Amino acid sequence: MTLRSTVATFAGRSSYWFLHTFMKGGSSLPGKITTKIDPEILKHLGQNYDVIVITGTNGKTLTTALTVRVLNQKYDHILTNPTGSNMEQGIVTTFLRAPKVKGARPIAVLEVDEANVIKVTKYIKPKAFVFTNIFRDQMDRYGEIYTTYQKIIDGVALAPEATIIANGDAPIFHSKNLPNPIIYYGFKQQDEKDIKAKPNTDGVLCPNCQHILHYRYLTYSNLGKYFCPNCGFERPELKYAITQISNLTPTSSEFEVDGHAMKIEIGGLYNIYNALAAYAVGRFLGVTPEQIDTAFSEDKKVFGRQEVIDLDGKQVTLILVKNPVGLNQVLDMIATDSKPFSFVGLLNANYADGIDTSWIWDGNFEKLPALNIPAYITGGERYKDITFRLKVAGVPDDKHAVVPELKDVVEKIKTLPTEHVYVLATYTAVLQLRKLLADQGYIKEGMGA
Amino acid sequence: MTYELNVAHLYGDLMNTYGDVGNILALNYYAKQMDVKLNVKVVSLDQDFKAADYDLAFFGGGQDFEQVIVSKDIQTKKKELTAFIEDGGPVLAICGGFQLLGHYYVDAKGDKIPGIGALDHYTLSQDNHRFIGDIVIKNADNGETYHGFENHQGRTFLGKAESPLGNVVQGKGNNGEDGTEGAIYKNVYCSYFHGPILTRNGNLAKRLLVAALKRSYPDADFSEQEALPVPATF
Repeated sequence: MTLRSTVATFAGRSSYWFLHTFMKGGSSLPGKITTKIDPEILKHLGQNYDVIVITGTNGKTLTTALTVRVLNQKYDHILTNPTGSNMEQGIVTTFLRAPKVKGARPIAVLEVDEANVIKVTKYIKPKAFVFTNIFRDQMDRYGEIYTTYQKIIDGVALAPEATIIANGDAPIFHSKNLPNPIIYYGFKQQDEKDIKAKPNTDGVLCPNCQHILHYRYLTYSNLGKYFCPNCGFERPELKYAITQISNLTPTSSEFEVDGHAMKIEIGGLYNIYNALAAYAVGRFLGVTPEQIDTAFSEDKKVFGRQEVIDLDGKQVTLILVKNPVGLNQVLDMIATDSKPFSFVGLLNANYADGIDTSWIWDGNFEKLPALNIPAYITGGERYKDITFRLKVAGVPDDKHAVVPELKDVVEKIKTLPTEHVYVLATYTAVLQLRKLLADQGYIKEGMGA
Repeated sequence: MTYELNVAHLYGDLMNTYGDVGNILALNYYAKQMDVKLNVKVVSLDQDFKAADYDLAFFGGGQDFEQVIVSKDIQTKKKELTAFIEDGGPVLAICGGFQLLGHYYVDAKGDKIPGIGALDHYTLSQDNHRFIGDIVIKNADNGETYHGFENHQGRTFLGKAESPLGNVVQGKGNNGEDGTEGAIYKNVYCSYFHGPILTRNGNLAKRLLVAALKRSYPDADFSEQEALPVPATF
């Protein structure tokens, strides 16, 4: 340990202690202070850990949380970063506040923002990377899927010995020759056809010969068992696979991984991919399928992203939406509800939401009218955009209330004709709504799980 | 419905960034109100585009990678697309589609990618910078104001035969220099607008549909369609 990193660590730890104790905060500031004093501090902080870096567009948070639970079945000391602290400073803070561990080498499971992978691998050589998926996301900031993948790969290039654990159903993860060992996970279905992805799907060109990919089956978006009819490029061999989907509801999913029955207390096909990624990491580090099953069923709070709030008798499920693929998955998920429900869409376009609202037009709202939803509400700072989106999708005006202000949305929800209500909202709209609900005593303050 | 229009969605499976497909949805939405049925077909790689088969064409923007692939394939459709345009066929081209109808564009890597030269503009690149943000323009001829969201690295310069879709009121426009945004040539409307352009500017959707109707049904009276009120959506 150099004098500089000792000083830096001390300054960071003290500021974390101070912020945490007196300010009830401290997520990235200590990291900022520490890196200011010693820009290479991560090298020192991370050297004693086996690091697993989890990155990709969607599913990072849940995959990270699930991976921690899975690894906890076998390992005692696991460090992880809280949601939203997935950039360099937040990661430094995560290491700073970690208690000192004696004996066995601890593991750090880190959710890392795509563009920040290289900032981590510059100083830390991870044991493994997990690639969940790459979809269009807040493109006004990061650009196109190929650019995003290149950013990740630039980071991975600094750690050529780390094992990559990647979603094998995503063609982009099979598009570059990398020196790293690679393990693929994905879906194995019995029913094989010859189909193409829907016209508005991103990333359907063969990385080899640039013809349009075909699929034996699709799970969602451009994920599935792809092949190129022109050059023979195809999905790689899967090491770990979903072999059966048994039951899907908005709040739970039952499936089999390599023949082992498992259940997670959350809906959405995309979350099965997250569970599968955690399974793959667990198997990679010697956790048994039985232990993984236990990890999935033991602590239900891990699935807390889809928060259900009791609003004077209404069961309001609050779901964050941020990009078309995620949105489509959520629409598919709520469609599995066996009870009637109402639909609320809240759109903001602040920096954290993505300042361009065009993405809502890539979402398949056209499926809503067929679900016989008795009441709709649209609101938020960009209520005009989301209102017209639903109108064009065929949502009838007489079932559709336009309520710009969130405080009025809360009151309106109380009058909806169904017990189940799904609120799909962008990031800052979720924060604003939660603040309102917290002020009125319906929930506790904070971002939830 | 009384009328039908065949719409070519050019490379709809590859050129579909930033919600551009919303333009097809908006065309459908207004077409229904105008008693028009749209038959939309994606025309993509290795598929023929025949000018005589279509009444309207839409060409959206793409990612760099897809756009390069399309630039090669579209050369095989150059003759028919140019014929369609010269004959007054209505076209809406956004972002990459706008660029590819011109002579060429220079991509982020500095490579010069050929377009089909059906319109007389060309597009240069800018280093490590994009024009991103809300944009408002005003058309000098019809007085209409258009709202959108621009997000482009390309800087496009119009040719003599083209007029801009509008003059920049807020934002950057074609190149950040000359105050123009988009292009109009015959019945071709080009723009960098996402948002998408037709969901925020229904009057433009109406203009395109009416142009297509008049061209495909020369003897019919479309005064009712032209009078369709288009309430603001933005």
